[in-house]
Amino acid sequence: MKIQIDRDRCEGHGICTERAPSIFTIDDEDELVDRFEEGDLPDDLVASARAAIDSCPVAALKEV
Amino acid sequence: MAVSSQPPSCPLVAARRHASRFWSRTPARPDKPGDVPVYRTDLYSEAAIRDPYRHYAAMRRLGPVVWLPKQHMYAFPRYAEVKSALRDDDTFRSNQGVALNPISRFIGNDSLLMTDGSAHDGLRKLMAHRLTPRALRPLHSQIEDLAEQTVQAALAKGRVDGVADMAVKLPLTVVPDLVGWPQRGREHLVEWAGATFDMLGPLNGLALRSAPNVAAMLGFVHRLARRRDVLPGSMSYEVVQGIEKGVIKESQLPSVFIDYLAPSVDTTASAIAAALYLFAENPDQWRLLQKDPAKISNAVNEIVRLESPVRAFGRRTERDTDVAGTRIPAGARVLVMFASANRDERVWADPDRFDVERDASGHVGFGYGMHGCAGQGLARLETEAFLRALLRRVDRIELDGAPERVVNNVIHRFEALPVRLVPKLEQSRPA
Repeated sequence: MKIQIDRDRCEGHGICTERAPSIFTIDDEDELVDRFEEGDLPDDLVASARAAIDSCPVAALKEV
Repeated sequence: MAVSSQPPSCPLVAARRHASRFWSRTPARPDKPGDVPVYRTDLYSEAAIRDPYRHYAAMRRLGPVVWLPKQHMYAFPRYAEVKSALRDDDTFRSNQGVALNPISRFIGNDSLLMTDGSAHDGLRKLMAHRLTPRALRPLHSQIEDLAEQTVQAALAKGRVDGVADMAVKLPLTVVPDLVGWPQRGREHLVEWAGATFDMLGPLNGLALRSAPNVAAMLGFVHRLARRRDVLPGSMSYEVVQGIEKGVIKESQLPSVFIDYLAPSVDTTASAIAAALYLFAENPDQWRLLQKDPAKISNAVNEIVRLESPVRAFGRRTERDTDVAGTRIPAGARVLVMFASANRDERVWADPDRFDVERDASGHVGFGYGMHGCAGQGLARLETEAFLRALLRRVDRIELDGAPERVVNNVIHRFEALPVRLVPKLEQSRPA
């Protein structure tokens, strides 16, 4: 599983960084960083990834 | 400047003219669709507004799609349909959809709240980058100080109105400066904001009662759009500059000013007063928060879930669509019931219970998706700062009389909340 970030929609509310701190961080430029952007998510993080996707207030995250 | 580019000098007259045209060309109102369960109670009656949750529970039991004959619209009372409608903004349109009456749809037609697609995205970008957690960081210490002062002043008085003495203080101090409102007019913000929300409902007595305040606010924002005496460097200042850059049209200015201000006072005040009420009624939850202040951010989610400040907004279907097996035709009106979704027993165990430890982050109290509340970062900041200040100073919160509810078509909040704050014993800390 991978996560697709809609950069136009993301406003940096950071809820996903609370739900899935081992996947998402917000950098100094206020940009959302997905640590696993280059590869697939490890299986043990899939549940927290889905929770983060579901809680994004602007629906900027998608499972692909 | 050409006269023709001026906004209409009397928006209410223009609105009425538009509304009568609208009505005359509106096709006959749709009959009840055959197989959809019906809920007859007027959700916008005073009784239902004061005590909404049992109606919501009854509607959720009826089904995923319910017909409201009084409003001639479909309603989504359950979480799943609310969330998917908000996600599918191509089908469930805000333009000509959010408000439940044509006057409001006309007045707000250019607003961020009521636009879709690229028109919406341009306006949203102009606003959202000022409201990111990072952009708000410079406000942290000011908001913490304000929260501290508010709580100390309330403790000094002992018995206070949790609304007038506490809940409105933070948003009323923080928001006008951030937005860039001039000093004049600030004393009316609470009543104007309330009136704006009333006007988004059906044209009932509440909407009519709000008309003078809506007119006053419209007069004010139109004057502001002409004079442009907004605070330099503020959000509104950036909007005014956006005209020169071609990001927005001059005629959109009044709507955008309303977008920035109307939703930011009542809503946050609602959440802060709800926090006082919920912790007064549930002292065990207050003890949990005292033991572990790290739960504050989740507690704010739980407060907004349980006492959602915005009960519901409308949408208009752009095309025929199928929702949980019900065919909804293009051009239909749909009520998206945030406050009901947030108590849906299919999603939340024991949904009416206040529980700061449950995972409440999936609530739709700030809406969701493209039209999700742009100011939710600020609202969280204010409410969390308020709770932190309470935790520092207050041992417990007690109700000190019967609370009163505001009767408003959209906003769910207390009008008055008599509370007594009992200070912590170890207050004699060195100055």
